[in-house]
This record gives sequence, C-alpha cells and structure tokens, in this order.
Amino acid sequence: MTPAVPQVLADLAARVARNAAPQIPAAERAGELGLSALLLGLAAEMWDGAAERLVLENRGFRGLLAKGASVASTSALRQALETLASGGEASLRLSALQSANSSLRAGLIALQLDLEGRDDPPAKALEADVWRGLADAALRSRLSGSPV
Amino acid sequence: MQESELVQRLGTYIAGKMPGAQDVAVTEIARITGGASRQTYRFTLAWQEAGVARRRGMILRRDPADSLIDTERRVEFEAYRAFHGTDVPVPEMLWLEEGGEALGSPFFVAEEIAGFQAGTGPLWTAPYLDSLPALGRRKWSILGQIAQADPSALGLAAVLPATHPETVWRRELDHWEGVLDANETEPLPVIRGAIRWLRANPPPPAQKVAVVHGDYRTGNFLYDTEGGIHGILDWEMCHLGDPLEDLGWSFNPVWSFGREHPGGLLPRGEALAAWEAASGLTAEPSALKWWELFACVKGQAIWVSSAKTWLDGANRDPILVYPAWALINAQDLGALKVMGHL
Repeated sequence: MTPAVPQVLADLAARVARNAAPQIPAAERAGELGLSALLLGLAAEMWDGAAERLVLENRGFRGLLAKGASVASTSALRQALETLASGGEASLRLSALQSANSSLRAGLIALQLDLEGRDDPPAKALEADVWRGLADAALRSRLSGSPV
Repeated sequence: MQESELVQRLGTYIAGKMPGAQDVAVTEIARITGGASRQTYRFTLAWQEAGVARRRGMILRRDPADSLIDTERRVEFEAYRAFHGTDVPVPEMLWLEEGGEALGSPFFVAEEIAGFQAGTGPLWTAPYLDSLPALGRRKWSILGQIAQADPSALGLAAVLPATHPETVWRRELDHWEGVLDANETEPLPVIRGAIRWLRANPPPPAQKVAVVHGDYRTGNFLYDTEGGIHGILDWEMCHLGDPLEDLGWSFNPVWSFGREHPGGLLPRGEALAAWEAASGLTAEPSALKWWELFACVKGQAIWVSSAKTWLDGANRDPILVYPAWALINAQDLGALKVMGHL
C-alpha cells in the first residue's frame, strides 16, 4: 500500500494528539478523527494479510515472467525476465516485499508490450494468462468495503 | 490560518464587496469535511441594510496548500455561473478572488442551498432508499441537459479551452496519462494496459463539443428524500469535450459504491434512456465503452496523485490517503471489469 502503513500511522498518531487540544473547533476535530478512524480501520484490515498477499502475488508474477522469458521476442527481454523470475524473497519485511512487487509489475508491463505486438498462439495465450494473473492479484487485494 | 483570523479577514473582504451594507459579520462558520481539492466552509453572513438586519447562508471554497486536483478556480466559478438560472440546478456564485491577498489563497463565495444532503453517506439508508430510482432518473436527466447545453450560448466557449470532435479523446487521454506519468509511485500494469487499448481503439468523433462537468457522480449533488436534486456541485474539472465523457465517468465502477447499479442508483439501461432523452444524443455502445475505460484511467490518475501529494509532504491531510488505500486497487478492478478481464 502506498503511502506505507507505518508512515501513515505515525502521522495519524500526531494528528490524534493534536486534536486532543481544547481549542480545536468541534467540527474540525470530528472531521479529522472520523477520517483517522476510517484509515485505522483500513490499516487494521490490510495489516494481517499484507505479507501473505505480497508473497503470493510475487510468486504468481514470477511464474508469469518465467513463462514470458520462454517466449520473449528479444534476448534482452528474455534475460531481463529470467532475472526477475529467478529472484526470491530476500526478506519478509513489507517494504522489501513491496519493492520486489514493484519490480515484478514493471516486468509484467514489459512482457505485455512484447506480447501485444504479436499474433502467435503462445503469445496470445500468455497475454491472457497475464491478464488473469493481474485480475487474481487485484481480487486478492480487495478490501471488504471496496466499491468494486 | 486560524479560524478566528479567517472569520475576520473574510468579513473584511465581503464588507468591501457590499458598499450598501453595514455591520457585516461572518458568523457560525464551520468546515465541511471531505473535500480533497478545496477547503469548504459553511457560514452565515449577517449585515444591516437600510436599517434592516439581514442574514444569508453562504459557502466559502478556498484552495488548500496543495490541491488534489490542479485546476483553475475560475473554471469552477464560471461553470456554476453559466448554469445558474437554467434547468441544471446550481448555487448562485457571489465573489471570486484569484489572488492570495484576502485569505492567503484563491477562493470563491457562493450562496448556500440549505436543507439537502450531499455525499453518499446517508443514501443507502432510510429514508433515501426508496427514492434511489427516482434520484437516478433525475441524475442522468440533468447530465443529459448538461450535454444538450450550448457552450457558446452559456458563455463557456469563451472561458474553457477549445477542442475538436475528432481529437478530443486524444487530448484527454494525453492529459491524464501525463498526470499518471508525473505521479505514479509504483508500476500499474492494469491501467497501462488500459491506456494502450484506448490508443489502439480510438472512439468515433464526438457527436458534438459539449460542456463536460468532469466529476459527475453520485454524491456530487444536493438531494432530498423524494429523489429531487437541488444543486449540482464540484465543477472544478469542467471543460469542453465529448458528452460521453461524463456519461462514462458516471458509469465508472468505483462510483457504484459496491452496489448493483451504476451510481448505486439505477439499472444501466434506464440511466442511458434518461440521458438520451434529455440530451437528444445517442450513447453508441463501443464509444461509451471507450469513455468508461478512459474514466478508469482518469480515476486512477487522480488516486495516485493523491498518494504522491501526501508522500511529498506539502499536504498531509488524511483525506489524501483514503483514495490511495481504498480506491487504487478498486479502480484496477473497475478497469479489469470494463475490459472484460474480470
């Protein structure tokens, strides 16, 4: 999640403390605390499953990139995809998992660009797999109050 | 700026605009929370005129230090002013100040249309639930009236940048892709894929160059318990363009708020029928699909800008975090749905 949860929680802590001051207008205090409560609820929902979600997502993306490496149309892309696909989780810190996730997503964009320019069946099949992988990832990240 | 200082400076400013008034005072000021792009306050103006005590409810919309949506406040002001007195209900605009001398940042003052709800909070509960279909019909009828309006006759063609039916889609897509490029903090394969699809499958030329509200969604209007709408709000992204753009934005899946129908209000076919009847235009399915997917791109550009603004530190309002956390993934889901990948 961006901004990162710890960063936002630190800001909310300061904000809650500031709203304890008696001179804050009641309507402003109500608005700030209501919104802070909403964000705390979202953070609570995200927190428990965040690491597992990122590990699963990264594993799925690496699988797609490995398939992509086998059909990539240029050697440079094949090499880049192989490098991304062969990596693992060096750390289970959320920041490290998120950083790896960003690299993998960038790799998927490069792979999609390559596949969309082609008509051969393996490319078309993998293109559909990539969209399915992206849909699975988005569904896995869906919050309980998500509008979609 | 402390609230007491804001009250004093606003009172001084308005007194200067009302030479026939004495004892002008800003009273009962209260911030309306929820706006991420403008700070909005409700207040009562009290004054004496020809020996008679008068009071009027007003709204102050002021730019914050770093707005979520980077727009000219004159655009918003002129759009409201253009539609005031037409079949499209809007509050009356009173004063616009584009400099920072009076209140530290640009602002405008408008009449308050009191006694109605805005936002979506109360909509999904009694006593509003029974009136949702009527509210939906009214919502898309008014949008049709906006599409039907003549920008030149309203005076907006002189205020808003000109565009052409053949190229308007490219201008809008270029703009919002540029916003994404400038603000994206992590790669977005779904939305980048959507952009490539949009460029590869351009829509037909616009049926006309119309006034586009720019943020026409459930919640951005004042409504009652009978399905009536009394004020269309939030015109800050108003521009000239394809009338299907507003229709597509109103069908953006995130604006269904997790409910079955578009806008959380009305079956799609009924919404389209209301819009077509009021606008005299047609919503050709493939063209509308293009603008619905475009709406997902535009939405995502706004949500990632929100995250970037917060991360940059100039504005740490928690309302900037909400769209980043709650809507970026939802908007991906919306785009996947429109593209048929969900």
